[in-house]
Amino acid sequence: MSAAPASGAGAAAAPVSDPKSASGSAPGSAGTPQRFPLPDIGVMLPFGAVIAALLVGVMLVAALGVPIKDAIAAFLDGAFGSAYVITESIHRALVFALIGTGFVLADRANLTNVGGEGQIAMGGIASTAICLYGGVSHLPLGLSFILPMLGATLAGMAWGAIAGVLKAKGGTNEVISTLLLSFIGVWLLYWSVQSTALLRRPMTGSATLPESLEIPDATKLPVMFPDSDFALHIGLPLTLVLAIVVAVVLNRTLFGLQLKAVGLNPTAARRAGMPIARNIILALALAGALGGLAGAMMLQGQQTVLKAGFSSGYGYDGLVVGLLARRSITGVIAGALLFGFLRSGGINMEMVAAVPTALVTVIQGLIILTIAGIAFITEKKGRAA
Amino acid sequence: MVTVVEPSVADTAAPAGALVAGPAGSTAGITGGGAAPAVAPLLALSGISKAFGALKVLEGISLEVAPGEIHCLLGENGAGKSTLCNLVFGVHKPDAGEMRLGGELYQPKGPADALARGIAMVHQHFSLVHDFTVVDNLLLGQERGILDRRGCAAKVRALGEQYGLPLDPYAKIDDLAVGERQRVEIVKCLMRSPRLLVLDEPTAVLLPAEIESLLQVCRRVAAQGCAVVLVTHKLAEIKKVADRVSVLRAGQFVAKSDSPATDIDRLVRAMIQRDLAGLDAAAASTLGTESAVEAPAKAEISGERQNEILQVDGLTVHDTQGVTRVDKLTLIVNRGEIVGIAGVEGNGQSELGAALSGMTRVTEGRFFVGGVELTGASPKQITAAGVGVVPEDRHAVGCITDMSVAENMFLNRMKSFTRYGFLNRAGLMSEARELMGRFDVRAAGAEVPFRSLSGGNQQKAVLAREITMGGLVFLLAAQPTRGLDVGAVEAVFSHIRAACQRGVGVLLISSELDELISVADRIVVMYRGRIVGECKADPAERDRMGAMMAGHAA
Repeated sequence: MSAAPASGAGAAAAPVSDPKSASGSAPGSAGTPQRFPLPDIGVMLPFGAVIAALLVGVMLVAALGVPIKDAIAAFLDGAFGSAYVITESIHRALVFALIGTGFVLADRANLTNVGGEGQIAMGGIASTAICLYGGVSHLPLGLSFILPMLGATLAGMAWGAIAGVLKAKGGTNEVISTLLLSFIGVWLLYWSVQSTALLRRPMTGSATLPESLEIPDATKLPVMFPDSDFALHIGLPLTLVLAIVVAVVLNRTLFGLQLKAVGLNPTAARRAGMPIARNIILALALAGALGGLAGAMMLQGQQTVLKAGFSSGYGYDGLVVGLLARRSITGVIAGALLFGFLRSGGINMEMVAAVPTALVTVIQGLIILTIAGIAFITEKKGRAA
Repeated sequence: MVTVVEPSVADTAAPAGALVAGPAGSTAGITGGGAAPAVAPLLALSGISKAFGALKVLEGISLEVAPGEIHCLLGENGAGKSTLCNLVFGVHKPDAGEMRLGGELYQPKGPADALARGIAMVHQHFSLVHDFTVVDNLLLGQERGILDRRGCAAKVRALGEQYGLPLDPYAKIDDLAVGERQRVEIVKCLMRSPRLLVLDEPTAVLLPAEIESLLQVCRRVAAQGCAVVLVTHKLAEIKKVADRVSVLRAGQFVAKSDSPATDIDRLVRAMIQRDLAGLDAAAASTLGTESAVEAPAKAEISGERQNEILQVDGLTVHDTQGVTRVDKLTLIVNRGEIVGIAGVEGNGQSELGAALSGMTRVTEGRFFVGGVELTGASPKQITAAGVGVVPEDRHAVGCITDMSVAENMFLNRMKSFTRYGFLNRAGLMSEARELMGRFDVRAAGAEVPFRSLSGGNQQKAVLAREITMGGLVFLLAAQPTRGLDVGAVEAVFSHIRAACQRGVGVLLISSELDELISVADRIVVMYRGRIVGECKADPAERDRMGAMMAGHAA
C-alpha cells in the first residue's frame, strides 16, 4: 500500500466497491459479441493457449531426459503417421465433438452437463442390446445400424432428462446430479457385461472375458470410402450435421433464445411467460441424447464389443472440449480435433519414446488453465472499459 | 481523525454558499475561474474528457472542489455524472485532462489507490454482504489478520454520535432497511477519514425523513473539513445543502452556480433545457420541488360496477417463511382509472405486485381481471388476460440485461416473430426500432445489450413492451419511476396516462407520495399488508396519508 492517508484507520487493499455498477452505468460500453457463433477473438484465443501449452509439454519432455526430437517424432507419427491413426484420431474427435456440442447446448441455459461419461455408457448399453438382441441385423435401408443408434440416443436422452427433472422440479444442482448419474451409468455398464443374464457373452469356458458378443456386421457403421485407406465411418458427416443443427437452433430459433433467457435470468423469463421447467429438462435431455449417440458411435464404429471401461473417459474429455469452446460450436469442432490428435500422439509417445501418456493430460490441463486465465483477463478488461 | 481545515459556522440547513468565500453573487461562468473559493481546492479537474468507444461521455470537464464544501453535481441520467465520479474514484481513467488532489497530480490506478489517497465513495448500488453484521462488513476491508470487532463497534457508535448516523453495530445487513444500509456504507467511508466523500445519487432510495437526515450528515461531514461531492437531480436537496452546483448535460458543464438557492430556475433550465413552469406536475415532483406538486384535473370516477377491471377479494400472501405479507386485501380498480398504492416500503406492496403478476403463490383470497379469475394463474396466462406489468425490480424481473434491446422489448411475445420456430431477426429489429422511436428509448441500436442503456431508457423500454401488449386492459406499475430523471418520469407518466385514457385500468405502487398525488385518481394507503385508508389524490390530504403510512389509523 503506498501513499497511505494521514488517518489511522487501516487502509484497505481490496475496496469493496463493485465494478459492476461502474460498467453498468457506462453508456455505450457495448459488450463483447461473444455469444454469436462466428469466429472472433474468443475462438482464436485457444490457439495461442494450445501452442503455449505444447511448448511447456516439450520442456517437460526434456526434463524427463527423453530426446525432444524422438518424442516429437513419436508424437507426430502417432497422430498423423498413417491413414489408420488419422482415422482413429478423427473417430475419437467425433465423440468429443458430440459431447462438447451437448455441453454448449446445455450451457446456453446456464446448465453444466458433466454427465457425458454416463450418457456414453447408457448409449453403449442400449446400442449393444439392440444390435445383439433387437433383431435388427436383417432390416433393410440401413435400419440395422440406425435403430441401435436411435435407441442409444433415447437412452442418453433419458439419462440427461433425469437430471433435468431433478433440477426443474426439485432444484437439484445439475453438476452433482449429472456427475452421480455418470457413475451409475458406468457401473450399470459394468454390471451388464458381468452378467450373462444381461449382455455378457455366453460362458464357453473359464477364460471367457466379461464382455458382450461382437455386434453383427450389419449393425456396424458403414465406412464412407471402402476403397481408401481412410476407413472413416458415416459418424463424421452425421456429427457435422448435428453440430450445425445445434448451432442453428441456438442462434436462430425461439427455442435457442428461450434457453438463453432461462439461463441468463430465469425470473424475468418466467415473467415473460417462458416455460422454465420444460426448457431446463429439454436442454439436459438433448445434451444427454448427443452423449448417447456418441456411445453408439463408439460401439458401432470402433469397439464393436461392449466391455468394462467402454467409455474410456471420453465423456470428461468431451466436457473439457465444451468448456474450451467458450460457447461456440466452431470452437467445439476445433477443440475436438485437437484433443483427438493429441490423445493419439500421446499414446504413441508412450509406446515409442517412453514418455508417459499422463503428459498429454498435463498438457490438456495447461491448455485449460491458459485459456481460463486469458479469458479472465480479457473479460476483466472488457468490463473495465 | 480529520484535521479541521475550516471550522464552519454553518449549521445543517445553512444558507447555501455560506462556506464559499468567493465574490458575492459571482458569475455563473462556464469555467469557474473567477469564482474560485478562497481555500485552495482539494480536488481540481481540468480539461477532463472520457469516451467509451465512439460515445463521448465527458468533454473538457473542469471542476474545483474545496475542503469543507458540498458540491452538487446536477444532471439528467446519462449526462455523465456517474462517469465523472468513477474517474475521480479511479474506476476509469480519463482520456485527456488532468486531475489534481491537494495540489499534487492525481492519477489513481484504481479504487484502492483512490481510497489510499483519501477519497471515499458511496455507490448507487451498495456493496454489503447481506449475511454479515454491520461490524463484519466494515471489517471486510481490513488488512491485518485479527478482527477487532469490539473496537470497530465502538468506532461505529462514535461516528454515529458525531455525524448523526445511528447504527446497531451487531445488526445483520439483512435486517436493515435501505436507509440504514446506506448509513453502513457512509460509515464505511467515514472510518477511513476521507478528504473527499463522493455520494452517487444517495437519496434515490430514501424516504423523505431519511433524506433530511442524510443531508444533515453531509453538512456535518463538510463541517469537519472534508469535501463532499453529491450527485443528485433533486432541486430541493440542492436548495438545502449545496454550497456550489455544477450542471452537467451531455458530458459538458452547462452551468455553475455559487449561490444555488437563488439560481434554481436557471439551473433547471440548463439541466433539462426547459422551464420548470412548463413541466408536467408528476415530472416536477421528482425534482423534489414541493411547490410544484399540484393536483391536476382528475378523471371523474365512475362508480358503475361493470366498469371494474381489477377486483381483488380478500387476498392473502405469505412469504416463504410463512409470514403474512398481504393480509385479506380487497381492492377495486376501474377502467380508465389510476389507483395509487401509497405506503412505506416493506408493507406488502412488493408481495401484492408479485401476486398480481403471477410470480408468487396466493395463500388465500382471489383476484379477477375483466371478470376472469386469475388467482393462481401463471405469468403467461396473466399476460394473455391483458395484464401488463412494470415490475418493481426492473433488473431481476423486468428484463434480461445481457440480451439485446430488441429481444427485451418483445420478451413476452417473441412468438410473434417466429415462423416454424425460426426467429425473424430482421422483423424483430425493425419493429423494435419503431417502438424505440415511439417511446423515445435512446440506445446505440436495437441490437446492443440492454444493460448498456441508462436506467431511464431501460424503464421506458420495459414500459413500451407492457403498454403495447395486445389486448391490454390492466397495467400494474410498481415503482415505475425509481431512479429515473425528470425527462424519463414525464415520459413514463404520459404513456401511462395515455393508456388510461384508452380505458386501461392502472394500479400504481409507489413510495413517492408526491408522485402519487400528482398522477393517481385516488390513493389507498397500505400498512402491514392491509389497506388502512383511502384518500382523494389531493395535496391537502398529504398529512392524513402520511399519518396512515406511519400506522396511525385514519
